[in-house]
Amino acid sequence: MPDTRTPSSFRVALTVNARPVTLEVPAHALLLDVLRDRLGLKGAKRSCDIQVCGACTVLVDGAPVSACTFLAVEVDGCEVLTVEGLADGDRLDPLQEAFMQHGAVQCGFCTSGMLMSARALLNEDPSPTRERVAHYLRGNLCRCTGYRKLVDAIVACGNQGTT
Amino acid sequence: MTLLRPFALDRPETLEEAAAVLTEHGGGAALYAGGTELLLLMKEGLVRVQRLVDVKRVRGLADIRAEDATVVIGATARHRAVEISALLRERCPLVAGVARHVANVRVRHVGTVGGNLAFADPHSDVATLFLALDAELVLWRRAGERRLSLGDFLLGAYETARRDDEILTGVRLHPWPAGTASAYLKFGVHERPTLGVALAVTPAGAGAPAAVRLSVGCVGPKPQRFPEIERQAARMGVAELAARAPALAQAAADAVETASDLHGAADYKRDMTRVFVRRAFEIVAARAAGEEPRARYPYTVIV
Amino acid sequence: MRVTRELALAAAPATLWTLLWDVPRMVACVPGCVDAKEIEAHRRYAARMTQKVGPITLSAMLDVQVTEAEPERRLTLTARGRDPVIGAEITMRVGLEIDAHADASVLRIEAEGRVLGKLGALGHGTIQRKAEESVDEFAARLRAVLPT
Repeated sequence: MPDTRTPSSFRVALTVNARPVTLEVPAHALLLDVLRDRLGLKGAKRSCDIQVCGACTVLVDGAPVSACTFLAVEVDGCEVLTVEGLADGDRLDPLQEAFMQHGAVQCGFCTSGMLMSARALLNEDPSPTRERVAHYLRGNLCRCTGYRKLVDAIVACGNQGTT
Repeated sequence: MTLLRPFALDRPETLEEAAAVLTEHGGGAALYAGGTELLLLMKEGLVRVQRLVDVKRVRGLADIRAEDATVVIGATARHRAVEISALLRERCPLVAGVARHVANVRVRHVGTVGGNLAFADPHSDVATLFLALDAELVLWRRAGERRLSLGDFLLGAYETARRDDEILTGVRLHPWPAGTASAYLKFGVHERPTLGVALAVTPAGAGAPAAVRLSVGCVGPKPQRFPEIERQAARMGVAELAARAPALAQAAADAVETASDLHGAADYKRDMTRVFVRRAFEIVAARAAGEEPRARYPYTVIV
Repeated sequence: MRVTRELALAAAPATLWTLLWDVPRMVACVPGCVDAKEIEAHRRYAARMTQKVGPITLSAMLDVQVTEAEPERRLTLTARGRDPVIGAEITMRVGLEIDAHADASVLRIEAEGRVLGKLGALGHGTIQRKAEESVDEFAARLRAVLPT
C-alpha cells in the first residue's frame, strides 16, 4: 500500500497549448491519459504503449516526449504543446499546411506525433536537410505513407523559412 | 491500455534524503530518473514498485563537468545533454556523437546516462562505448562513496554490482589522448542496437606507448574488451592495421561472448562481430591516416 | 530454452539412482527450488521456484510429475507452473539418464523448457543463460551431496 505520509496526489500547474491549467493527479497517472481523458485532447494517440512508435508524442518545454510513458507529475511548471495547439484559430501551422500540400497524411494515426516531432525539429533547426529530418523522425512510425512525403513536407516547410 | 499500479513518489533534494527513503522502504522502493526503462517494466506488470524515489531534484546530479583530465557525467544527465555538451564535444567527441543516436529523439530527451547503465540492458550503445573509455562509476551511500570500473559494475544482463542502498551518482570518463583515431559502429533494425563496436587507436606519444581499445557490445550479456587483440594491434602501424583487419576481426569473433535472443542467434552475432570489427579497424585506420572513409553499410550508423 | 550436460560422477549407478529417486531431495538441488512436497510418492510433487532476472522476480508454484522411471537408468520429469504476479507460464521437461562407467556413472541431463508471457519475450536471451547456470549449479550440488 502506498505510504500515506508522502502525498499520493500532486498539484500540477502547467500551461497546455498556452493556456494555464491546474490539476490534481496521482503519482501513477500517465501524461497521455491526463491529456486525453482529463483535458479532452485526443490528438496524441495510444498506439504501441511502449514509447517506440511516436504516436503519443507531445512537447514538454519544447522537448518531444512519449506521453504514454511519462508521468503527469513531471509537467508541473512546464509548457506542454499538443497537436491541438499548433493551429492559431483558423490559421494552420505551416507544418500542417505542408503536410496537406504534400500528401503526407493517409490514415492520420501517426500524424499528430509526426507533426509534434517535426515542430520540435524545426524549432531546433529551421532548415533541416532530408537526412536530418529522417534521423529526427526515426522514432515516429508510419504504416501508410512510406515516409517520403512526410520528409518532403517537413523539408519544404523548412525551406520556406516561415517557421 | 496498460495503467500503472498506484505508488508513492518521493522527490528528495539531497542524496542523504534519497538514501533515507531507500533504507526505510527497502525492496519496495526504486530509484527513478527518466523512467524510460523502469516505467515500461511497471506498465508490463513485470515489476511492482510501491515507491519511486525521483532523484532529478538532487542538486548537481545532472552536471557534466571536467575534473582535470577526467570528464564526469552526472547520473541524471539526459542523453540529449550529452549530445550537445560543449565539454564533451571537445574532450570526448565520440561520446557526444553516439548520444545523438541512442534510441529515438524522445528517449534522448527523457532518458539518462545513469539510468541506462544502472538498468544494464545488454543492448546499450552507452555501455559499449563507455567500456572503451575505461569508465568508472561513482556509487554513493551513507557509509561512503566507492568507484567501480564499468567492467566490474556490469555483471550480466540487467544485473549490476550496485548494492540496494547505493545510488549511482556519476560516470567518470578518461578521454583518449590527443591524436587518437576512433569510431563507433552501431548496427541493427530494432529500437535497441543489435551490435555495437567502439574502437580507439592511439599512436605512441609523449612518454606513452601506442594503445588500442576495442569494445564490442549488445551481442551478449554485457559489453566486452579484448586485451590480447588490443595488445597485438597496438604493435601495428596504420597500414598494417588496415591490412590485418580481417584477422583481428576473426580473433574478436572467436573471443566474443554472444547470446541468442530476438535480435538473432548467438552464431549470427558472432558472425556480425567479425564483420563489424573488421569494418571498425578499416575505418579507424583510414581516419588515423587522415582520411574519412566513405563506405556506408546497411542498417549501420558510423560515428 | 534447451540445456544438455554430461557429468562424470564418482558414484555407482545404484547410488546415483537412490539420490535421484528421492525426488524432494533431488529437487532441492535445483537452484531457486524450495519446499518440494510429495503429493503422490514417486509420481507427483509440488515445489516453488524463484529466479531473479535483473529487477524482475519470477516465482511460480510448480506441479512436478514423474513421467518415466527406469531404475538406475532413466528418470524423466515434467514441471508446469504460473507466476500470476508477472503473468508468466513455465513448462519444463527434464530428462536424466544414467550410464555405467566402470565403478562410476555418467549422468546425462537434458532440460527443455519455455517461459510464456511478457518475461518470455523480453527475457529470451537471459532465460537461456539462467537455465544453463541453473543446470550447472544443479550438477555441482548433486556432486556435493553424493556419497563417495
